[in-house]
Amino acid sequence: MLKVENLSVRYGAVAAVRDLSLSVGQGELVALLGPNGAGKSSTINALTGLVAPSAGRIVLDGQDISRVRTEDRIRAGLTSTPEGRHIFANLTVGENLRLGAATRRDPKGVRQDMERFLALFPVLSERYAQAAGTLSGGEQQMLAIARSLMSRPKLLLLDEPSLGLAPKIVVRIFDFIGQLKAEGLTLLVVEQNARQALRFADRVYVMSSGALRFDGPPSGLADEHGLLNLYIGG
Amino acid sequence: MDYALQQVLNALAFGAEYSLVALGLAVVFSIMGLVNFAHGEIIGVSAYSVFLAAALGLTSPIVAVLLAIAAAALAAIAFERVAFRPVRYAPTTTGLLTAFGVSIVVQNLFMLLISPKPQSVSILNGLNQMWFFGPFAVSSLQVMELIVSGLTILALVLFLNRSTLGLAIRAASRDFATVRLMGIRANRVIATAFAISGALAGIAAVFIMARRGSVSPDLGFSLVLKAFVACVIGGFGSLPGAAVGGMLLGFIEVGLLVALPQEYGGFKDALTYAIIVALLVYRPEGLLGQRVELGDKEI
Amino acid sequence: MSQAIEDTAPAAVARPGGALARSLIGGLVTSLPVLVVGLLILNFAPTYYTFLALGAFVNLIVVVGLQVFMGNSNIANLGHSAFVGLGAYGVAILSTPLAMKKLSIPNAPFGFATLELDPVSSALLALLAVGILALVSGKVISRLSGVAATIVSLALLIIVHSVFLNWTGLFKGNQAFFGIPKVVGLPWMMVMSVVVIVLARLFKDSRWGLQLRASAQSPQAAAALGIDARRLRLVSWVLSALICGLAGILYAYFAGTISPKLFYFQMIFNTLAMLILGGMATVTGAMTGVIVLSVGLEFIRSIESGVTIAGIQLPQLLGLSGVALGVVIVLCMAFRPSGISGRYELDELLSRFFRHAK
Ligand SMILES: Nc1ncnc2c1ncn2[C@@H]1O[C@H](COP(=O)(O)OP(=O)(O)O)[C@@H](O)[C@H]1O
Ligand SMILES: [Mg+2]
Repeated sequence: MLKVENLSVRYGAVAAVRDLSLSVGQGELVALLGPNGAGKSSTINALTGLVAPSAGRIVLDGQDISRVRTEDRIRAGLTSTPEGRHIFANLTVGENLRLGAATRRDPKGVRQDMERFLALFPVLSERYAQAAGTLSGGEQQMLAIARSLMSRPKLLLLDEPSLGLAPKIVVRIFDFIGQLKAEGLTLLVVEQNARQALRFADRVYVMSSGALRFDGPPSGLADEHGLLNLYIGG
Repeated sequence: MDYALQQVLNALAFGAEYSLVALGLAVVFSIMGLVNFAHGEIIGVSAYSVFLAAALGLTSPIVAVLLAIAAAALAAIAFERVAFRPVRYAPTTTGLLTAFGVSIVVQNLFMLLISPKPQSVSILNGLNQMWFFGPFAVSSLQVMELIVSGLTILALVLFLNRSTLGLAIRAASRDFATVRLMGIRANRVIATAFAISGALAGIAAVFIMARRGSVSPDLGFSLVLKAFVACVIGGFGSLPGAAVGGMLLGFIEVGLLVALPQEYGGFKDALTYAIIVALLVYRPEGLLGQRVELGDKEI
Repeated sequence: MSQAIEDTAPAAVARPGGALARSLIGGLVTSLPVLVVGLLILNFAPTYYTFLALGAFVNLIVVVGLQVFMGNSNIANLGHSAFVGLGAYGVAILSTPLAMKKLSIPNAPFGFATLELDPVSSALLALLAVGILALVSGKVISRLSGVAATIVSLALLIIVHSVFLNWTGLFKGNQAFFGIPKVVGLPWMMVMSVVVIVLARLFKDSRWGLQLRASAQSPQAAAALGIDARRLRLVSWVLSALICGLAGILYAYFAGTISPKLFYFQMIFNTLAMLILGGMATVTGAMTGVIVLSVGLEFIRSIESGVTIAGIQLPQLLGLSGVALGVVIVLCMAFRPSGISGRYELDELLSRFFRHAK
């Protein structure tokens, strides 16, 4: 579904991503792991087009989207839930969800999806008309993911969904991610929390200092001598 | 009509006009951090369009009003496309100076292509009459300014709260990148904001022409300076702040008109600005503003 | 602009002892072109050009003054001609001969109608007045965010202009204030230009200038280092105002006649365009912009007033110079925000050039 070839991202003199190639197949959940500053977010942002890569190709469903604008990549079915959630704090929960569906033209389907997520996350339903900024971190993460799903993406990129959340909530969020996978959604999940990310992962990439260090099945990661400790610290 | 009541109406009418223009500035600033000094020239384009249409034989005031609003909205979109897009992600000062440059260019184009002297426009004079309610006489223009501004602000609030594009504008004022992640086109959001800002300026242009009966190259310039001051005192970038700041400015001005002896009338503007600046000493972030660090601008 | 900081900072830090000398020599080198142009005009040009040159020198001092605040704080100042005007009116009120005052401001308050000071004391007092206004306005402006500060600088301009216009007893209102002693010629103007250029350069390279530029680039980082950005903005605002006030004083002393409209938006447009075109990060930029635009504007003005080309009389084109100024600003901002001279001062460019040539 997604194929990334020789991607590089630079910020001035800093090379954040160097010559990265990866792929995500239909229905797969792929984990992208690595320590802080490894270049994971830069990779995600290059995939959505929020940062311009300095080199490389991004192919979605056989189409080269490297030069397509962010907005049109979303319309093509690729969506990301950014690191730090980035919910619209000054808008209500309901308005956040509505914006997530901004690209859709089927009001009925939108309403159904909305009801589904509100049933799934009762907190969001309770706080429907409140400013989203008043939600707790975990609730905001739920909202952010639900908002991404409102566009009915084919491929969802999740950037550190566990960031800054209590362990119990992290487990709940990954339960939900597993459920999404079971429903057939294709996912690329960026994490520092390897244990959770590997629960449902079909394949794993590990990167550090902008470059890929490992590529294989989750079991391979455990075999790989010290890799887990070296790059993930746990 | 009772003198005090008359002065309150005056203040409300002035304030309404400042609020309209200030809101136009705030809408654009809040989503893209642009301090649009060329806003006055959007009013100018609107007024000169009506002037030219009248010179070419337009007689219907209603068409003139629609033309004024449409011309202003188009001018705003055109300014963005031509001059502001290249500096969209530049520091605030760069955008501010660009807008200042656009303002100078357009003002001087009016001089060059039409005339440096004021030109008479009478097509909208009918809006400015005396209305009599029993023993009371009020200016129809002032009543209309108040009502139209009120309705416009209501429409704006509804748009920003109900429509998807309105939500996107509110969201973009905090976090533009994430709005794009919703698949909403950045250019469309910005063009809409400029169109709204322009339409508000167009309404103001109608009132100015109806009151003055003429157009001149610097038509909108001093009004926009006041609107900027209204924005600053309300809290720059805050929409409610712009509306409140505009009203406050209207009341300060009329208060000074009433309080100042005739021979000091010339100091009205100076004193208005001085009072506002003095208020800023106590609230540097404005009445409804949040403290932002110098040079802050999220992309 | 941000680059300029990275570039000059190591040089200034590396040799603390030599920094002052380096900066002083840099300022002198930067002012060389001004001296050369001035001397050429002084010795060879007809009177008309001398008069133009005097105007250009006044603009130069204003633009350098503007650079001191804008270039270092990166906040747009759209009110600096208020200080130019106050300087000019200050010396006009203090130094105009009594006989003339009887005609122009016979009823001036505070005994100004019967006061006649020598030009130097007048100038010092006028600068004092400018300094006080700058201090008071600077207290407000330095506390505001960048955008609000710019708007307030505009409000200041309007307040001061309105006082000039309406306080007719003291400023003579809309009419020209004449009879100011004409004591300044090109030589004085050149000396003052050099002084001001060196001063601006010393400020830019000083610890204050460096810290101010750092805080303009990254407010949070600077605050974390304990830099008091407000105080530095205030310092640069006052210095900038004093330089602008000096320009006004010199203008009054060479022209002999002033009026409020000279110190209003037209001056803001002209000098701002000059600074932007030349490049506001450097003093060299200020100078470059003045030279280029003074020549360019003179050319455009000659077209504007209706030229005869090949026997055909073209009509007057009022507004042409304004369009040109605006276009210069817009194009610069879009394509070269750092202006002609970019981030290097003249002496830095020269030393780079010679280093490469070796
Ligand atoms: N906007 C930016 N400007 C400059 N450098 C950046 C920017 N964003 C990230 N970086 C740098 O790029 C590198 C990779 O960052 P990032 O992609 O955020 O890593 P990760 O998400 O794996 O923690 C880091 O060294 C970071 O400092
Ligand atoms: Mg990251």
